[in-house]
Amino acid sequence: MAPGEKIKAKIKKNLPVRGPQAPTIKDLMHWYCMNTNTHGCRRIVVSRGRLRRLLWILCTLTAVALIIWQCALLVFSFYTVSVSIKVHFQKLDFPAVTICNINPYKYSAVRDLLADLDQETRGALKTLYGFSEVKSRKRRGAESENPAWGGIRPKFLNVIPLLVFNEKEKGKARDFFTGRKRKVSGNIIHKASNVMHIHESKKTVGFQLCPSNDTTNCATYTFSSGVNAIQEWYKLHYMNIMAQVPLEKKINMSYSAEELLVTCFFDGMSCNPRNFTLFHHPMYGNCYTFNNRENETTLSTSMGGSEYGLQVILYIDEEEYNPFLVSSTGAKVLIHQQNEYPFIEDVGTEIETAMSTSIGMHLTESFKLSEPYSQCTEDGHDVPVENIYNAAYSLQICLYSCFQTKMVEKCGCAQYSQPLPPNANYCNYQQNPNWMYCYYKLYQAFVQEELDCQSVCRETCRFKEWTLTTSLAQWPSEVSEKWLLRVLTWDQGQQINKKLNKTDLAKLLIFYKDLNQRSIMESPANSIEVLLSNFGGQLGLWMSCSVVCVIEIIEVFFIDFFSIIARRQWQKAKEWWARNQGPPCPEAPPGQLGQDHPALHVDEDLPTFTSALQLPPAPGVQVPGTPPPRYNTLHLARAFSSQLADTQVLDEP
Amino acid sequence: MQVRKYLLKGLHRLQKGPGYTYKELLVWYCNNTNTHGPKRIICEGPKKKTMWFLITLLFASLVCWQWGVFIKTYLSWDVSVSLSLGFKTMDFPAVTVCNASPFQYSKAKPLLKDLDALMKAVLERILAPEPSRANATGALNFTIWNQAPLVLINEQDPRHPVVQDLFDLFGSNHNGSAGGSPVPGRTCTAPGCKLAMRLCTLNGTVCTFRNFTSATRAVTEWYGLQATNIFAQVPRQELVQMGYPGEHMILACMFGTEPCSYRNFTRIFYPDYGNCYVFNWGMTEKALPSANPGAEFAGARLVLHEQRTYPFIKEEGIYAMAGTETSIGVLVDKLQRMGEPYSPCTMNGSDVAIRNLYRDYNTTYSIQACLHSCFQDHMIRSCSCGHYTYPLPPGERYCNNQDFPDWAYCYFDLRMSVVQRETCINMCKESCNDTQYKMTISMADWPSEASEDWIFHVLSQERDQSTNITLSRTGIVKLNIYFQEFNYRTIEESAANNIVWLLSNLGGQFGFWMGGSVLCLIEFGEIIIDFVWITIIKLVAFSKGLRQKRAQAPYTGPPPTVAELVEAHTNFGFQPDANLSPHAEAHPEEQTPPIPGTPPPNYDSLRLQPLDTVQSDSEGDAA
Repeated sequence: MAPGEKIKAKIKKNLPVRGPQAPTIKDLMHWYCMNTNTHGCRRIVVSRGRLRRLLWILCTLTAVALIIWQCALLVFSFYTVSVSIKVHFQKLDFPAVTICNINPYKYSAVRDLLADLDQETRGALKTLYGFSEVKSRKRRGAESENPAWGGIRPKFLNVIPLLVFNEKEKGKARDFFTGRKRKVSGNIIHKASNVMHIHESKKTVGFQLCPSNDTTNCATYTFSSGVNAIQEWYKLHYMNIMAQVPLEKKINMSYSAEELLVTCFFDGMSCNPRNFTLFHHPMYGNCYTFNNRENETTLSTSMGGSEYGLQVILYIDEEEYNPFLVSSTGAKVLIHQQNEYPFIEDVGTEIETAMSTSIGMHLTESFKLSEPYSQCTEDGHDVPVENIYNAAYSLQICLYSCFQTKMVEKCGCAQYSQPLPPNANYCNYQQNPNWMYCYYKLYQAFVQEELDCQSVCRETCRFKEWTLTTSLAQWPSEVSEKWLLRVLTWDQGQQINKKLNKTDLAKLLIFYKDLNQRSIMESPANSIEVLLSNFGGQLGLWMSCSVVCVIEIIEVFFIDFFSIIARRQWQKAKEWWARNQGPPCPEAPPGQLGQDHPALHVDEDLPTFTSALQLPPAPGVQVPGTPPPRYNTLHLARAFSSQLADTQVLDEP
Repeated sequence: MQVRKYLLKGLHRLQKGPGYTYKELLVWYCNNTNTHGPKRIICEGPKKKTMWFLITLLFASLVCWQWGVFIKTYLSWDVSVSLSLGFKTMDFPAVTVCNASPFQYSKAKPLLKDLDALMKAVLERILAPEPSRANATGALNFTIWNQAPLVLINEQDPRHPVVQDLFDLFGSNHNGSAGGSPVPGRTCTAPGCKLAMRLCTLNGTVCTFRNFTSATRAVTEWYGLQATNIFAQVPRQELVQMGYPGEHMILACMFGTEPCSYRNFTRIFYPDYGNCYVFNWGMTEKALPSANPGAEFAGARLVLHEQRTYPFIKEEGIYAMAGTETSIGVLVDKLQRMGEPYSPCTMNGSDVAIRNLYRDYNTTYSIQACLHSCFQDHMIRSCSCGHYTYPLPPGERYCNNQDFPDWAYCYFDLRMSVVQRETCINMCKESCNDTQYKMTISMADWPSEASEDWIFHVLSQERDQSTNITLSRTGIVKLNIYFQEFNYRTIEESAANNIVWLLSNLGGQFGFWMGGSVLCLIEFGEIIIDFVWITIIKLVAFSKGLRQKRAQAPYTGPPPTVAELVEAHTNFGFQPDANLSPHAEAHPEEQTPPIPGTPPPNYDSLRLQPLDTVQSDSEGDAA
């Protein structure tokens, strides 16, 4: 015999597979209740009287139900998080600081591109509000002398005409240029007026955007103030013009780092414009980012306080400002992470000229748990929106990418203020005559969450946030102004050939107020150990049960129970078969019963005391003629030959 | 004798434990323990026996593992954080107000006369390439200049930068290479030339150049260094005299509806900002000497801080602009930590290795105080004099050019040293209770044009008792400090895992896998003791046997089967075989061969299992 077979035979011999010991289900139940470790069950059997038994049955069932309910609660609340806030004092990484002049391009450089547009704007202002630039600044004197139309048909007002709405004539608008009245279909969108009711003046200004060849389905935008209307109108055309200018040319038109940053000082050391990286923003022109990990090192501060932060003096050349595009003066600053895209138009802090702005920072870091605890995403790879920005994923990037992709899909061209997706061009009149209408429509849908962008995009799991405390002081002070301006002029050297003015400068201090970093962390509220021990607590509390009991229950109720039933059925079937076959051997059924009885397979497995007690006397055993009283039950248990032999062997000496 | 008897008695009593052999003991334990697994091992058939044995073993190891996890979690001293937000009556913070300019210039002028003249000359040098040399240099005091001269580095030729003292025409040729060159710096402007400060050690052997990309910065830094040098030699009382007096700085004050005046403010001398005034500090007046003028800002600087803490206005202060009304909404942000072993923090700074120099001002420990003290400590160790911005330890002196000519070199060296900062950060611990004030700042022009006239009139009269208007819009600031709607936010730590948590989880695990409890553990311990006893008895018997040279076994039958042992211990009346007992003489009747079929009645068994016997009898009858 092969050794494998031998082992198999040995196992078969030593560990024979047998059915349950109890002959009937009732016996099994009784045996279980008497021997199980769970409380309650035994009471059912032991109790006398129907009422008491019923009560115990009810109690046991209630306890079981409670256990199931409580454990279900534990399982359902497994994926909850606990939030902890920690404050450490440590050396902190200095954030990236992006600084932009509010005015994107030097007016002297872009004037040629915008000459026609500016002239038409001035003309519109004169016609609508009677504004003329007679006493305006000298630098624009030459052009503003002839604001009259000079016979040529204006090209910008023709594409998107400015309209004047009169309150008296509902649904009618007058094209201010031609003076021709035109009917306006119902779709009038009042900018901002659907949010708040502004006192309607008699005259409102707006413009109408129509799909290319369908004038019936126009959207009209009106504004409560002419300032907004003119600026919005100007911006539309401005984007159109700038979209056609190549990037290198735009960078050259904007401010250089040497121009913008007069002095720079970080952590007690001088820095220079080379420490800043260029970042071209479509609406803000050249922006400069400090500490942008350009050479793989992030600067850090190990001291709090303004002495150890970033100190820069900015040159804000007010004379080069575009009069219609921006109406405020100063710079915009954004503090962000190194790999984050600076959304300067959304979240920048504006700083004033002739002022020292000191910005104290506090760092808060947040960590969230991703799936299955919350919906956040670690790096955006599982968000079905392509990241068109060259930066790490963030919710805002996702939203803008989503919008831009939709824009390219619906309008066939990309919006100017966001990066270009692959294989797309920026919108302009020449190629996409009706892109503005499309854009406004789409933007409306985007804001009203009809584009599904808001539901598709998910927030990031970890983010850093800098809480800013901004305070202002006048700078330079009157007494120091004189020498300071002179030295600063010397600093600028040949960059600008004029004396600096107080209103051309802004001082900015960015520093950590202290080096306390606050981290808000989510951690799983439950671990598998705690869950199990809670299970154990529940099981133990209600029934003094354990996993062993559960295995017992499975064994008794699912294995033994069914095997007993199956055995019954098998016996019945056999009996029926035997009866049908006639009575060849009438001894078979009792023999069968006896053979089937576990206690008879005693060759290896000795009966336990309890099982032995429940045995019917074996068929072949002689009951002594004068059975002793009760105590002979013990001898009954030994009534099997093998066991008797054992005993005798033991008794022999 | 007595003791021996007593011991013997005790031994006998203990011997009457659950069994006399290991096997018996184990069987007894398995049968009687309250943990769920072992009982199954002995009362089932061989296959199930194996199964149950494995299951019990598995569960026992699971329990041990899980207990390990829990104990490890407990010993990691995690904290849970509770955050509360709301409004309650709070102590108003102490408010420190300083003028951004430290001294009244008119009073400090005599001291700074030489320096100012030098500064003027320097500016002229930089800005105007061809000055009229003769009249500019006559009255200048070059002793100041020579300590830390400004030099012009001409980098137009990057390979041979030319270093030139700004005043090198006046004889003091520090640099050989620069001296011979024919004044190239005269025509040099920003991109080509850099200003730098030359710092040398005592005998001028080692020099470093502190480069600046901007002349503004260089000049400011240089002026600051020289001015502090001057002020360091002035006695403290004089400096206080030069600062702004309280009655001139605080013109009007209201706290709630109560009027207050400059007398409610405590004066504190702050090196960088001169006389500062602390409202609601509740401390005796203390002063800190030295100064660092940098009067670029007009306006006031203020900081909110906890009572009994030192105001670190340079780090935590904010500006209030002149000619405005600055409203500051305050939110008190409190942080309470647990301390060791939960989080590394210190309750009062006593366990930090750095001497807190600010303790002399009756203030509590804070990490800023620790960092400053640490810096001063390093300064004294490497430069042998203290920097005047920080307090002095006893027996030390402040740095100045006369006594410590190379201190500036040493100071800048130390300040740029990364090692020094790292050591200080590592040595200082956070304090366990920390209060921060979050401020929301808003500004408006003040006074309004309409009210301007009478406000200035009244304030002027009150201050100077003159009918002329002595104040202007650029000279006054109005401050409103108020609590926000929710004025406190407390972050409090508490132990995440306490001993109750640990015990309940240990119990849960043990109960879950094995249905055990502490009593089971005691049981187990008892068994172990029994085990030891049995071993002792066996050893004693063995040695006795050896001594008596009687090597025969106590009995020569096969060992009792498990079933017999089970029976032996479930049924107390059952005595399978007297030979198991080494004390055979205790049962003399067993010596006689038993009468088969009629054993002596054992009534215990009858009493013990009435139900079972009844049933078995009835079944026996049925069969």
